[in-house]
Amino acid sequence: MTIDRYRRQTLVKEFGLKGQEILATKQAVVIGGGGLGSHCASLLVRMGIGSIDIVDNDSVDITNLHRTAVFSESDIGKSKALILQEKLHAVNTIVRVKGINQKVTSENIDSLIKKADVIVDGTDNIALRHLINQASVKNHVPWVYAGVYETVGMVMGIIPGKTPCFQCIAQTIPASSPGEIPVLGSLPAAIASIQCNETLKLLLGKPLTGLIIYDVWKQCFEIIDIQKNPQCPMCGGKKT
Amino acid sequence: MKISVRVFGRYKDIAAIDHIIFDIKEGGTIQDIIDAFVKRYPFTEIDKNRMMVSKNKIYISHDTPVQNGDEVTLCPPVVSGG
Repeated sequence: MTIDRYRRQTLVKEFGLKGQEILATKQAVVIGGGGLGSHCASLLVRMGIGSIDIVDNDSVDITNLHRTAVFSESDIGKSKALILQEKLHAVNTIVRVKGINQKVTSENIDSLIKKADVIVDGTDNIALRHLINQASVKNHVPWVYAGVYETVGMVMGIIPGKTPCFQCIAQTIPASSPGEIPVLGSLPAAIASIQCNETLKLLLGKPLTGLIIYDVWKQCFEIIDIQKNPQCPMCGGKKT
Repeated sequence: MKISVRVFGRYKDIAAIDHIIFDIKEGGTIQDIIDAFVKRYPFTEIDKNRMMVSKNKIYISHDTPVQNGDEVTLCPPVVSGG
């Protein structure tokens, strides 16, 4: 069953049977189970990651449904994390899927991520991304940033000590979030797919792409090659 | 001094080109480039304090000095929705 399930994927030369075997040994923590997090978690489960934790203390709202695929109207008011656990487990029972209905804070983030091979960013604010970045650098756990706005998404894989960290690129960005963020319904699926691929590359030890910017309306894809900032207050003192 | 600035994302659409040459005074900073960019493209005023700017592939603060030959990029702020 397992071989059949992943057969078409293992035929992909960039991935292969070896990639499939490696992926099955890996553990991801998805922080945030909304537009990006739910799509990326779904892809990782379907593709055969070994284990996945999905952390979110929010419940499904009708305003989530235009940009998510896993949730339905009957899920409104229920825990996003627990609904994702239930539905994604049903998709692939080989994968250990655990929904954690908890708010991520500076007190609990280390325990949530320290055993993970990668953190997947499904959050919706800058402050939490700075917290993830801090925990990533402290615990040497890589993460994959992704964000969306209107028709534009950004993705960047971050390996502490090796690649630029989030603080390297966001040092001028205030931690406060703007109000309600406009998002085209088709955007998170596209950006989560790119985020998933960067996550896979990170887990398989393949080179990451850099800062990716994709506009789904203009169909404009850009990659920005960036380097670590030696003056970065978060990772500047780390050796590569 | 003349600084060549590469623009990304919607800035490229606004400018309709991907490289812009700005004439910046000796001893000028990234902020001078941002000010010149916003003056030329007023729609970008909203991003003024949050633009991601790199110099020689390193993202830097807006008060960083620039010199002849520096490779500068301007990118819209990090997006934060999920």
